[in-house]
Amino acid sequence: MLTITLLVSALLSYFSFVYITKLPSLFPSFKGFFNTPGFSERLTGFLWSFVLLDLPVFASVFFGSPAISSEIETRTAFYVFPLPIPRYILLLSKYFAAVSVTIIVIMIYILVQGFVFYSIFHGIIIQAYFISMGLTILFIFSIVALTFLISTIFNKNTYAYISVFLLYFLIFNAYTIISDVLYKVVPYYLLNNSATIIERVYLNLSTGFGNSSASPYGAGTSDIISSSLVMLVYIVVSLAGALILFERKEVK
Amino acid sequence: MPEIEITDLTKNFGKIKALSSFNLKIDKPECVSILGPNGAGKTTLLKALTNIIKPSSGSVAINGITVSENPMKALQYVGSLVEQPEFYPYLTGREIIEFAARVKGASKSRIKDEMEYLVELLSMSDYINRKTGTYSRGMKQRVCLGVALVMKPEILILDEPTFGLDPRGMKEVRDLINNLRLQKSSIILMSTHLISEAKEVSDRIIIVDRGRKIYDTTNEDNRNILKITLEEPIDKNLNLNANEQVSIKILGDQAILAEMHGGISHSTALRLLVNAGLKIKWIEPYNDIEAKYLESVST
Repeated sequence: MLTITLLVSALLSYFSFVYITKLPSLFPSFKGFFNTPGFSERLTGFLWSFVLLDLPVFASVFFGSPAISSEIETRTAFYVFPLPIPRYILLLSKYFAAVSVTIIVIMIYILVQGFVFYSIFHGIIIQAYFISMGLTILFIFSIVALTFLISTIFNKNTYAYISVFLLYFLIFNAYTIISDVLYKVVPYYLLNNSATIIERVYLNLSTGFGNSSASPYGAGTSDIISSSLVMLVYIVVSLAGALILFERKEVK
Repeated sequence: MPEIEITDLTKNFGKIKALSSFNLKIDKPECVSILGPNGAGKTTLLKALTNIIKPSSGSVAINGITVSENPMKALQYVGSLVEQPEFYPYLTGREIIEFAARVKGASKSRIKDEMEYLVELLSMSDYINRKTGTYSRGMKQRVCLGVALVMKPEILILDEPTFGLDPRGMKEVRDLINNLRLQKSSIILMSTHLISEAKEVSDRIIIVDRGRKIYDTTNEDNRNILKITLEEPIDKNLNLNANEQVSIKILGDQAILAEMHGGISHSTALRLLVNAGLKIKWIEPYNDIEAKYLESVST
């Protein structure tokens, strides 16, 4: 996971340093926005943050998906379950461990982003950068919680891995497209849609099928709050579900 | 005094009834063996005792505490080895046992003492500081026993404790269980496939089949029965049950069972039988458990 993060960081650093002066020709549809002060910085921030919508998902699946299912699959449950440890402590310890390691890996990318910004623009868009960082951390908490919920359902790691990917990248996206095309509504309550706030704090772009919009500025406070609330709900509901399932988990 | 009480325990896995209205009470320190064929419900019973599975109905209580209601308190009294667990491969055997001691509330000095005692007891000094990912099955089994025995639990639950061990290791574990049994300070509840093992280490033997208890006997009873093979067929005119101290059951033309009463010795019993006119060819302890097992369990 660390290798992937470093690789993606290197690729985007290369892109940023080489193509920063060619942004207007690369994005002709935004031509009018380039006169807006700070737009290039915002667009670069948006492009870097695009990766932050997927990288935490891979990291959390890598670190979180096998957390519970592996206890059953590798039979370590027979060592841990008969010990007098409350199961909620086991689950929450593993959860915070998975969140911590995911944050550490993703922070490498975010810090590289900050360094590149500072080198190119001799400064970073302080507010947007830190808000995006905070939202990424919140997103990590919520996606890891979701992977834990799925991990408690299954007794095999493979099923847990596949289910998270299917749910996040297939079902959530399919539902978003259907809702967008048929009802012209982007379901903000899906985690993948609320996570877009990580990039939209730089540029409030919406590229849906039904209603696309563009703004040379970042998303407003109400947008940030509503997306954060959705992510918080995912954390609470997923962890509560995982705790209930884990408390009743049996090893047959 | 340690106590295990299982009341009407039923466990279903879908349509399969793994345990059916199982009752068991152990209210004094003794070694109880659960014997039964594969799929009889032995391990399911031990899993219910250690909170690995939850009962479908009925209850399991340890020292008066219902396991499903208050597992943390109940499991404080229990050391267990169930279903040959695996360990986290990046931890050493020492760390695995120390963790178990820590969650049972041991202080640092107590953990150190316990580790010294267990490493010596289970002959683990050669590999205890190695990562468990490099262990053989036998080494893992010894670490499992270390986890079960750490902090000297009042109740020891062992699921096939000699599994994966070489003959020397098997004997060491049997001797260990026997020593613990003779200390009379803990309940040892173990499952095994081996009748000889159960007879060697147990005070009480329970045979289970298809989730039911079908035979429950003290091991002591069986030591009072001898199987005697005779040199010639039994003379039907002999009055073999004239003596109150030895009762006879005819097994076949040339074999009888002699059960001793009133605490008489084997030699006294044999003298009485010879005086009654029997010509004895061969004597062996009667394996009542084996006979009962073969007679009662499903094939």
